[in-house]
Amino acid sequence: MRKWLVFCAVFVGVGGFWGLAQVPKDVLIIGMSHEPIIDFEPARVYEFEGGFVLEQVYDSLVNFVGGREAFERIVPGLAESWEVSEDGLTWTFHLRRGVKFHSGNTVNADAVVFSLRRSLTLSFPPIWILKQFVPNPEMVQKVDDYTVTITTNQRIGEMLMAAVLGYQGVCSIVDPAVVQAHATADDPWATKWLAEHDAGSGPFVLKEWVRRDRIVLEAFPDYWRGKPAIRQVIIKDIPEPASQKLALERGDIDIAWNLLPEMVADLKGKPGFNVIETPSWYFHYLAMNVGYEPFSNVKVRQAVRWAIDYDAITQNIMAGAAVKCHTFVPIGMFGHLDLYYYQDLEKARQLMKEAGYEQGFAVELLTRTDPPYPDIAAQIKEDLKKIGIEVKVTVMTYSELLKVYRAQQHQMVLVRWGADYADPSAQAAPFAHCETTGPEAKVKQLAWRNMYISGVTDWVEQAVGEPDARKREILYKAIQAVVMEEGPYVILHSPLIQVVTRDVVQGLEVPPLWYYTELFGISKAR
Amino acid sequence: MLAYLARRLVWMVFVLLGVMTMVFFISRVIPADPVAALLGGQAPPELVEKLKAKWDLDKPLFRQYVIYLARLVRGDLGLSIASGRPVMEDLAHYFPATFELATAGTLLSLVFGVFLGVIAAVKRGRLWDHLSRVLALFGVSMPVFWSGLLLLLLFYYWLGWLPGGGQLPFYMTRPSRITGLILIDSLVSGRFDAFVAAVKHMVLPALVLSFFGTAAISRITRSSMLDVLGEEYVTTARAKGLREWAVIMKHAFKNAILPVITVVGVTYGRLLEGSVITETVFSWPGLGRYATNAFLALDFPAVVGSTMFIALLYAVTNLLVDLSYAYLNPKIRYA
Repeated sequence: MRKWLVFCAVFVGVGGFWGLAQVPKDVLIIGMSHEPIIDFEPARVYEFEGGFVLEQVYDSLVNFVGGREAFERIVPGLAESWEVSEDGLTWTFHLRRGVKFHSGNTVNADAVVFSLRRSLTLSFPPIWILKQFVPNPEMVQKVDDYTVTITTNQRIGEMLMAAVLGYQGVCSIVDPAVVQAHATADDPWATKWLAEHDAGSGPFVLKEWVRRDRIVLEAFPDYWRGKPAIRQVIIKDIPEPASQKLALERGDIDIAWNLLPEMVADLKGKPGFNVIETPSWYFHYLAMNVGYEPFSNVKVRQAVRWAIDYDAITQNIMAGAAVKCHTFVPIGMFGHLDLYYYQDLEKARQLMKEAGYEQGFAVELLTRTDPPYPDIAAQIKEDLKKIGIEVKVTVMTYSELLKVYRAQQHQMVLVRWGADYADPSAQAAPFAHCETTGPEAKVKQLAWRNMYISGVTDWVEQAVGEPDARKREILYKAIQAVVMEEGPYVILHSPLIQVVTRDVVQGLEVPPLWYYTELFGISKAR
Repeated sequence: MLAYLARRLVWMVFVLLGVMTMVFFISRVIPADPVAALLGGQAPPELVEKLKAKWDLDKPLFRQYVIYLARLVRGDLGLSIASGRPVMEDLAHYFPATFELATAGTLLSLVFGVFLGVIAAVKRGRLWDHLSRVLALFGVSMPVFWSGLLLLLLFYYWLGWLPGGGQLPFYMTRPSRITGLILIDSLVSGRFDAFVAAVKHMVLPALVLSFFGTAAISRITRSSMLDVLGEEYVTTARAKGLREWAVIMKHAFKNAILPVITVVGVTYGRLLEGSVITETVFSWPGLGRYATNAFLALDFPAVVGSTMFIALLYAVTNLLVDLSYAYLNPKIRYA
């Protein structure tokens, strides 16, 4: 017995010796999954996590206000002011003076021209965001040291121009001298170097990146908006949500970014933690291929919309971590239409009857293997059975599903869609632009894939260039009203972005496109 | 011996070629679109086509195979679709972390497994034997995800004795990368604080990884020891008046070790390919997560590259096991 007591005492003693050190107070540690991160080459970054890092390290010409109301108001960034020519095609940006890159070099018109032309020349996948309106590098010109003009190929609204130029990535402003210093004969734009380093002017400097391990950012003392309150930010790769939660509760991380809804529910109201929730700008949606005979009838499409039990999906499957959003311009985005559906089986059955499908029909629904898709599909199967539609759910990997979906070979799909940038044009074009279902179509996105020839394609094109914000808003609302009345989509909900912090963290605001979250204003109470 | 080695190495090339060919064709005939998977559902179709051309996916299958083979001969495993880097660079980045963890896990399995196995054999039918059997059953049947989280909960969350995940404390700077092996790098660069921290961080994941190996090794050690303990030379040793400990370890265990080595080899090979679940639970930047993500994203250059690499690890481990037989048992000769 005595031997056991000695053993226990030694064990506890060793445990004490092996105890863990405390996290320094001026260091902010974020637990986040790094899985999607490819690298930090601004011209290539497209994934959210990469964009989040660029947001801290680089500046762009214009910014948006932070938080849930983000993207409602444009605020100056590196450009102090701007104006557009009478024909609406030439935008002149007046740059802020005295802004420094992390190298100490000055941010000027040469840097802006160099950066945008660099992205346009490199032409990596996300460049379409800029290229759709500025296809040619020569359309970006220096006027003088602090003035730049950008010419667009069509008239576009101010909000849209700001959404494009505020996109952190292809429109981030890089330091030409630093890029050129690391250019090689094989790699004249120094993409390899920029993949792992930064050449920005943002509030933080990318100090260290160890793949699938950590990203270390250090405060840039000469940042033009002032020195950040936090000296160092460590974004630690913790892919497993349960491990993230344990680390947060132990105080080893200050912010947990990828907790599951039930974990967030557990921490809600617990002393020592704050939960930040923002409706995201992505949503789960069901799409019907109009090329499949029963769905060619608009009444059948309407019947499906009225047959779904939206609340059951939001409450039971999404565990309350989603908000109602039944149109493709999400809540909070300019031009959002307050349009909601609910389950009305009487109405749905009546529509089926009017369509001549009183006896129902069979349909195959394709969806992804990962949660929550199979569960949502099961609920939809149950709901549609009530109006006579026999749904066969086929679950497949996303890559497999996309191949079928892109080839217009599905009957029904359940997937997700998210806004690429902060303007309704990013939503209206894919959901409502389709003048033909053949290979010659101009935009081969969701309307095309679902073989839905939209009657509002011209409105979609017109809205892009409408200079009057009020008229533009009306146009987008009208597009939604038409497409959600007769189109092939059932938009189910917007999931909530849920971020949990220790209560020492102050000033964190998460916008609906979470990768626009700024760490600049965050501080930690001592 | 050398002729045997040369023959085995030549066979190894054929094994790798076979693995590569199989994985190459399987990864390309499955009905999915890797470029679409990479770009997601929102990418414009023209972009998908452009990238397909970049990865030769627009060419006939056999032509793709020949192109891949020609590159492989030059030691080029191609560019990963997901990371955009040479697959070889990715493997070199992720393997050291897995190597360290697998080695630590195997060593723990060996120590615990042999200890439990020998005790169970010597105390056959008694409490220690039953305990060892129960532990082995537990080790084989416990899901790693569950045991990992349980250990985290106990030693990290409740007791606070061991760190929660990763290779170093979140705020500690890494020693400069020399070999990629964090224990070696921290010693070489004189960072003893990092060395101690890295050892602490390795304890829990290595322990979790060792469960399965401990179970297998303890069972095989027990049965092998029981065979040997019944031999006449053991009785002779005892009759000579040798101490029981010397009889067990010097006479019996030495002769019982060959099957144990085989199991250790298999365990090590299995751990070297990386364990995605342990690596995920413990935020370990290893090969298992890399390879699994490559499979999920249909990043086929990475899939083929990492599968070949894992096959190579198995082949080398098996070869070493076979060679160790000759060392441990002088009766075995290779020709």
